[in-house]
Amino acid sequence: MSFAAVLSIIVSMVFVNNFVLSKFLGLCPFLGVSKQTKIAAGMGIAVIFVMTLSTALTWLVYRFLLIPFNLMYLRTITFILVIATFVQFVEMVIAKKSPLIQRALGIYLPLITTNCAVLGVTVLNINSFFVNGRPVYASFMLSLLQSFFAGVGFALALILMSGIRERLELNNTPKSLRGIPVAFIIASLMSLAFMGFKGFVF
Amino acid sequence: MVIKNNKNKEGLLREFSKGIFRQNPIFVSVLGLCPALAVTTSLENALGMGVAVSFVLVFSNSIISSMRNILPNKIRIPCFIVVIASFVTIVELLMAAFAPLLAKQLGIFVPLIVVNCIIMGRAEAFASRNSVLTSLFDGLGMGLGFTLAISCVALIRQVLGRCGILVMLLPPGALLTLGFLMGGLNLMKKEK
Amino acid sequence: MENRLISSTSPHIHKDISIKRIMWLVFFSLVPAGIAGIFLFGSNTLWIILVSIISAVITELLIQCLRHQKISITDGSAVLTGLLLAYTLPPTLPLWMVALGSFFAIAICKQAFGGLGCNIFNPALGGRAFLLLSFPKYMVRFIAPFGSADSVTSATPLVLLKEGNLQSISQIGLSYMDLFLGRRSGSLGEVCIALLLLGALFLLILRVISWHVPLSFILTLGITSWLWSGKNFACGDWLFAILSGGVILGAFFMATDYVSSPLTRKAQLIFGFGCGLITFVIRKWGGYPEGVCFSILIMNATVPLLDRFFPPRVYGYKK
Repeated sequence: MSFAAVLSIIVSMVFVNNFVLSKFLGLCPFLGVSKQTKIAAGMGIAVIFVMTLSTALTWLVYRFLLIPFNLMYLRTITFILVIATFVQFVEMVIAKKSPLIQRALGIYLPLITTNCAVLGVTVLNINSFFVNGRPVYASFMLSLLQSFFAGVGFALALILMSGIRERLELNNTPKSLRGIPVAFIIASLMSLAFMGFKGFVF
Repeated sequence: MVIKNNKNKEGLLREFSKGIFRQNPIFVSVLGLCPALAVTTSLENALGMGVAVSFVLVFSNSIISSMRNILPNKIRIPCFIVVIASFVTIVELLMAAFAPLLAKQLGIFVPLIVVNCIIMGRAEAFASRNSVLTSLFDGLGMGLGFTLAISCVALIRQVLGRCGILVMLLPPGALLTLGFLMGGLNLMKKEK
Repeated sequence: MENRLISSTSPHIHKDISIKRIMWLVFFSLVPAGIAGIFLFGSNTLWIILVSIISAVITELLIQCLRHQKISITDGSAVLTGLLLAYTLPPTLPLWMVALGSFFAIAICKQAFGGLGCNIFNPALGGRAFLLLSFPKYMVRFIAPFGSADSVTSATPLVLLKEGNLQSISQIGLSYMDLFLGRRSGSLGEVCIALLLLGALFLLILRVISWHVPLSFILTLGITSWLWSGKNFACGDWLFAILSGGVILGAFFMATDYVSSPLTRKAQLIFGFGCGLITFVIRKWGGYPEGVCFSILIMNATVPLLDRFFPPRVYGYKK
């Protein structure tokens, strides 16, 4: 795992292949939770956390359960169940152990189960770091890295978007474009700007 | 009996047509946007995605509706997920077998039908409360509405892309098209 | 509710400054560089500038008519957007593409958000990014100066450096003086650094723009290029990095746009730093030879957050 490979995964996940702006994963929370910066930041942290740990779990399940029993076609159904159970479990643990985190992140966790970005990143990891049912070199670490920075990219887009939308509240935007349509136009221009990192090579 | 039958037919038709216009999943409810943007680089991909989603929607709606009285309320969501995921797996395997090219083009977005909010939304809001037949028609209508909406986005992007404006085939073009389509619909609604 | 006039309580400060005056001052400070462009790249340049400005003004006029708003095309903001967009284009671009880019800049980057003062992204740069991604082949067709319009295309110094892995500008056959005066291929308004700097000086003296954004932008780019763009550490060609591409045009005339840059000095310094850093990163490792346009657009997106963390001092209060 060379330094250059690590860096190119980071730039690719945060900018070039940004989950929201380029792959359109997790658009629903992106539009729903981006009205206030504070809430957006909370959601961003929650997504990074869930994405990274779900990746760890699904990778292990895939490597040590699905592959040995040749059940790779059950990937989708297994992954969604693992993620849903995991999120439920985290919710329970947090509610018991730390009311502080519960207050900060609690409301976002149920939303994350149906966030396609989380399922998306787990499937993507399997697609990119397994070749013919065998893990590539450092597959587990690369998967964790990829999902962590996919989460960072999601959080970045979400937080930037929330700042812009807060400002637009005061604006004289055309009535028919207010709300979701203008959010799409902003996202489009942000995506246009992020395309500047296209073709990134170290 | 005849009158009731007529009423039933009208009711079914209403359930069917509401998904296409009044409650269009993409433009009105703003659900299931990921595939609407990601696979709309060409009309064929959009149609393929539309058919796949409609298939899952119709079957999951009917199955969930038929189980609505036996499912305990507390674990209904996980049960919905299992049902939906099973049908998505079926679609995934069918597509890989009979339309491998399409499956390759749609890529990661086929398994992601599981988390498409339309399907979960209809299961929770409609199928778990209505009879099998109405749920089936609801699923059919919603599926058709979804297919029409993403085909519309795909058509605009493909035509403009072919005209030489390459950005319409890239992610920014998708977001822009959807934004302005929604804005245009808002404008039409206001004038009505 | 449209165009509410928000009047705060006194004291009110009176100042002889208006949007119109600022816009036209910036416009005139840019004119010499444009004339140099016409002189260097031929009469086609003039058409591009005219088409861009006219298309911008017509788009603004049409949208304001459709929205039943006060027509404000004489305030010069649409004219300035058109001019700035034209300055970032290669001199061979077909005119219909110029018109389309100008339409995109005004209709989508500016009016869709509500018009003057409401846009998040710099409209001219939005238009350029749109054109660059839409017509990648046409947007990199540059010509050598003093040739006819249909002469052989010639790559910009940045492209030559990137593709040829050359280490110094003498290998391209240029001197720093050539770069300073604009004897190189490039976008039509960005090449003549001397006249751009003259215009910028004029604006700085009149206090239309402040030095914070341009200085931190150029300084960051210069230092990072000096440290890491050469073969070894700290032997990069910083002067070349600053004099090539659209740095001077972008730093003084686009990153300083009132609407899409931060309000306070501290935030402006950070804004400029971000622009410089992203420009360097894109130039060094990115797929595009030039990153000024994208870096300013990306930093535009952070402006609402920067303003939030560095809010302007409320009048009458001490810090």
